[in-house]
Amino acid sequence: MLTLTSPVETWAHGLPAGAKLAALAIATTSLFLLDAPLTLAAALGATVLLYLTGGARFALAGLRLLRPLWPFVVIVGLWHLWTRDLSGGAVILMRMVAAVGLANFVTMTTRLSDMLAVIERLARPLSRFGVAPRRLAIAFALVIRFIPVMLDRLDEIGASWRARSPHRPRWRVLVPATLAALDDADRTAEALRARGGAG
Amino acid sequence: MAEPSSGIEIAAASVRLGGRLVLDGLELHLTEARIGVLGRNGSGKTTLLRLIAGLIAPDAGTVRVDGCDPFTDRRAALAALGILFQNPDHQILFPTVEEELAFGLAQQGMTQAEALARAHQALQAEGRAHWAKAPVTSLSQGQRHYLCLMAVLMMAPRTILLDEPLAGLDLPTQARLARRFAALPQRLVTITHDPATVQTCDRVLWLDDGRIVADGPPGTVLPAFIAEMARIGGQDADADLAG
Amino acid sequence: MERNLTHIALFAALIAVLGLIPKIDLAAGVPITAQSLGIMLCGTVLGAKRGALAVLLFLALVAAGLPLLSGGRGGVGVFAGPSVGFLIGFPVAAFVAGWVMERTTLSPAVAATAASVIGGIGVLYVFGIIGMSVMLDKTLPEAAFLAGAFLPGDAVKAVIAGLVTQSLSRMRPASLLSRA
Repeated sequence: MLTLTSPVETWAHGLPAGAKLAALAIATTSLFLLDAPLTLAAALGATVLLYLTGGARFALAGLRLLRPLWPFVVIVGLWHLWTRDLSGGAVILMRMVAAVGLANFVTMTTRLSDMLAVIERLARPLSRFGVAPRRLAIAFALVIRFIPVMLDRLDEIGASWRARSPHRPRWRVLVPATLAALDDADRTAEALRARGGAG
Repeated sequence: MAEPSSGIEIAAASVRLGGRLVLDGLELHLTEARIGVLGRNGSGKTTLLRLIAGLIAPDAGTVRVDGCDPFTDRRAALAALGILFQNPDHQILFPTVEEELAFGLAQQGMTQAEALARAHQALQAEGRAHWAKAPVTSLSQGQRHYLCLMAVLMMAPRTILLDEPLAGLDLPTQARLARRFAALPQRLVTITHDPATVQTCDRVLWLDDGRIVADGPPGTVLPAFIAEMARIGGQDADADLAG
Repeated sequence: MERNLTHIALFAALIAVLGLIPKIDLAAGVPITAQSLGIMLCGTVLGAKRGALAVLLFLALVAAGLPLLSGGRGGVGVFAGPSVGFLIGFPVAAFVAGWVMERTTLSPAVAATAASVIGGIGVLYVFGIIGMSVMLDKTLPEAAFLAGAFLPGDAVKAVIAGLVTQSLSRMRPASLLSRA
């Protein structure tokens, strides 16, 4: 399954995931405590420089990851143009882009397995409530395993719809899809139990 | 079925899926009443079915069913072709039998009331009027296959594509379904890996690795196919990954 | 015990898949992204606890770097943006929808629609609006105004969630684990 980790190796790829996430938490909190335009501009500039340390390709990929933010940029931009509060708008946008940019940097420089390991470690105190790390690991693996299976199945169900209708599939296809998910869950539970259970 | 069918014409068609060449320069004109497409799993049979059905478009070449392009002209394609997929559970969209049967008709333009009435008529004719309001999941596996076939027949297509129609069914169910298929007036194109299923076809195509390696009456193609399958099965190696 | 685990995992996969497939048509020519429908279905089908866990599992994988949010979005970055409120609200929405489903004795169709409206819209939008208000530095009414754009689409999805749940209960009554 394709992840958002960048194939372009940077100096940050080798750092431990937990440390990066902790640094991110601190940096994001600081960003939200600042409100002076110049300070935020400096923070944004620093974020851009951080990306450039990974090279041009890496930085461009980082830019692409910011694309989903454009509707908010437009909305905030128009809003603050209307209320003639340009510096307020700039503060919001710079903070938003810097915060998301820093977070994306962590995602791009950390492998999926390392992230999952951090999550499992963080969940250890919850093992009293039945969220044992081993069960969490199995759960992660099951989701990743079944996404392509379910995609294929939805494709087949869609083909079955298009075999009898000239229109694109409608919400109805979710019914056999959900039933199939329930059946898969039953069958997989049996398979798990047959191989020693989830612990 | 009003007009006669001009058949399925495939010219220099290739299909690429995920970078892999699945079908390679196929050239076919299918007009016979009973046609079999035989091949191992992974030979491209299901992709060929989807190509003929217009569910995918060729990356090169053309496909015409009764003169129209099934990919772009969906309405004409639905009048020309019906498809029976392998797994009824991935095919059935509605909770009850009558709704499942009425679906295709309503999509062809009938009102829901008319479509349901036709569905009831069809069930009556098959001696299965009591199935109308039954939840689909209360039907046995063989009954579900039957329901899917009925749903396809309701739309009166000129050709029906069958994807592994007898796979996984017990012997009595296989016999019943095979008998039902044999009696159908439509052209049938059966896609399968099992030579026994296509013994009574007029014409059998052997598809291997996206190409037609044999094309003729079952008496010619089947013995060669069975011999080759035995030869491959006699070897132990199957270590190559597709990707 | 394995059944709970697999149900949670498989429905997390379902939410992901509903974000990855092309938009489903509502009625002729009106496409919607089905992912938030998946969140509501987790609640109405699996019930409160398992539904919420399925959504949490899904969010964990998104945070870990899988592009499973509709539009191919993912990574910790989505939690640093303006829609973070909605993301935090997702598991709560599933929980509330499941809770409503479990507690009422209304027919599955009515209960599921009510559950989806209360959970999938009411609760979700509270979290989403608060989140947007904080991240975009707007007052709550201003943020509510912005979020209002999504309301009609989500209202329709709540109705569909009700219809899908009803269809499921008619096809196989035992499939509604929330009513087991």
